[in-house]
Amino acid sequence: MIRLTWLQFRAQALIAAAALAAFGALLAATGPHLASLYAASGITGCHGGTCATAASGFLSKLAATSPYPIMYVLGIGLILAAPAIIGIFWGAPLIARELETRTFALAWAQSITRTRWLAVKLTLTGLAAVAVTEGLSLMYGWWAAPIGQAARLGYSGQPVGMGPFSLPAFDAHGITPLGYAAFAFTLGVTAGVLLRRAVPAMAITLAIFAAVQIAFPLAIRPHLFPAHHTSAALGSYNGTTHVSGSDFAFTVDYLPSQPGAWILSSGAVNAAGQPVSTIPAACAKMPAGGPGMLPCLTSQGTRVAISYQPASRYWAFQATETAIYLALALVLAGYCFWQLNRRTT
Amino acid sequence: MMTAVIEASGLGKAYRRTWALRDCTLAIPEGRVTGLVGPNGAGKTTLLRLATGQLAPTRGTISVLGEPPAASPAQLARVGFVAQETPVYARMRVADHLRLGAWLNPGWDDELAQRRIGQLGLDPRQRAGSLSGGQRAQLALTLALAKRPELLILDEPVASLDPLARREFLRSLMEAVAEHGTSVVLSSHLVTDLERVCDYLIVLVASRVRTAGEVSALLASHYRLSGPRRDTGTLPAGQDVIEESHTDKQSTLLVRTGEPVHDPAWAVTPVSLEELVIAYMNPANDLPAPRPQLGVAS
Repeated sequence: MIRLTWLQFRAQALIAAAALAAFGALLAATGPHLASLYAASGITGCHGGTCATAASGFLSKLAATSPYPIMYVLGIGLILAAPAIIGIFWGAPLIARELETRTFALAWAQSITRTRWLAVKLTLTGLAAVAVTEGLSLMYGWWAAPIGQAARLGYSGQPVGMGPFSLPAFDAHGITPLGYAAFAFTLGVTAGVLLRRAVPAMAITLAIFAAVQIAFPLAIRPHLFPAHHTSAALGSYNGTTHVSGSDFAFTVDYLPSQPGAWILSSGAVNAAGQPVSTIPAACAKMPAGGPGMLPCLTSQGTRVAISYQPASRYWAFQATETAIYLALALVLAGYCFWQLNRRTT
Repeated sequence: MMTAVIEASGLGKAYRRTWALRDCTLAIPEGRVTGLVGPNGAGKTTLLRLATGQLAPTRGTISVLGEPPAASPAQLARVGFVAQETPVYARMRVADHLRLGAWLNPGWDDELAQRRIGQLGLDPRQRAGSLSGGQRAQLALTLALAKRPELLILDEPVASLDPLARREFLRSLMEAVAEHGTSVVLSSHLVTDLERVCDYLIVLVASRVRTAGEVSALLASHYRLSGPRRDTGTLPAGQDVIEESHTDKQSTLLVRTGEPVHDPAWAVTPVSLEELVIAYMNPANDLPAPRPQLGVAS
């Protein structure tokens, strides 16, 4: 059965291997230069405040140096797309095509149980799906390591150098891509088993996978671990300040005291710790955008309250999320076995 | 009693709320080429798919060669199956199909497979998707034969073939079966095909066995009687009316009887297998209680 699976899967495997090799070659061609830029940036051996400056300088320089911005973004895009592509083109047709062309009747007439037939197909193709996606991610992780390091130390405000927890970057690094690949693949297989036709199964796979990939980081990931809370003096962070009329608002993008942390929410609070958005009477006469506004608000006890996930939790988040996706994949795979064994074709 | 290769009891298969096969009880004898004939929707395909374990029954039981179908690789190895559309992997070559068979079947007879492919004139490098319908059916049959099953089940294997390919397919099936003494169950709605190859016949209508028996015994025990108009109630015991039609003056009957018909009022003619099958398939005919299905004199 292993040999038959390989015979059926060979063409797709070769395409994936070629894509992996091409991506690897591109990264290998530009990686050393990227590393030399990092070495020249002064981040290595920095201490204290010089680190943030050196890191920001490096990221800004990178953002202006072709082809790094485009490769940085395309690399993340490719790793995010890989599980979806695998789910659609490997997962959905895996069983659906056999049901559609009725070749399952040929396969099931051989001296092999249906459970084993499915187990071998699922395992081999699934492992390939995981290996390809994680392979892309590992190669990219190697290439982008200097960028990740700099993004932990300093704030660029550029698209190049997103923090480790930032939305697309977290999904493309570490071990989460293998969880996504396993999930997308089994999702495709399950859709194929249920719909029995490859094309609708492909469409449904894409729709569900995209929905999960959008919903998970927004609705579930922030709550995997209880948030930490802290407050910071106005202006002691990178972020935005908004003052208009009698209202003001502050948000924090990067907190130097917690480099690499994931800022979940931030907002101004008064001395008592309550959220505020109205300029207190004592500062009401200040010009809205004037230099005196921040010191005045500070003198009134206004600070910014922040809830965040510290950078030290990065791998805990990675491991938990990957485990959740792998568990989903296992449940879906189990469902496929059950469904095929009580088959009512 | 003969040993049965397939034995079903109260067998039923429902798809949601509709029954594809309902309360089917039958036994198919060993060592025969059994034709399963019936109108569309009689449940033939469902029955054969249950027998190969491709479907699980909703009700009742079925055993094939004494075991539940597809219970184990060993049981699967004993049963060959050619499904209705004779599916093959379109993108794989003919030779790949033979390799597949060799990989997945412990009893694979590669010499037989290669010889058949050679005799059929199939190019091993050709992709199965570009084969003609007849060639595809032959490839599917080769796969089923080369696993050297004790029982070979074929579901309407020739339905989509032209008459020449159909004849060719059945001929090569018969050759192979004769060589290895395989039991065969073959479904069709074309009696002429079955007549050529089967020595045992089961007529299945709406999941029920309408009649079953040796082809020769069936032919020897059915007659067409025609003569002056007569009430069928006046026939001697032992003559069961399968079909009757009457005009003002004449009666024409198809009767089943173990004894020769001596009544000089009747003109007695033998019936063809097709006439017999059609009479049994006609739902308008109210059948007498069936004779024993197994143990018919052979």
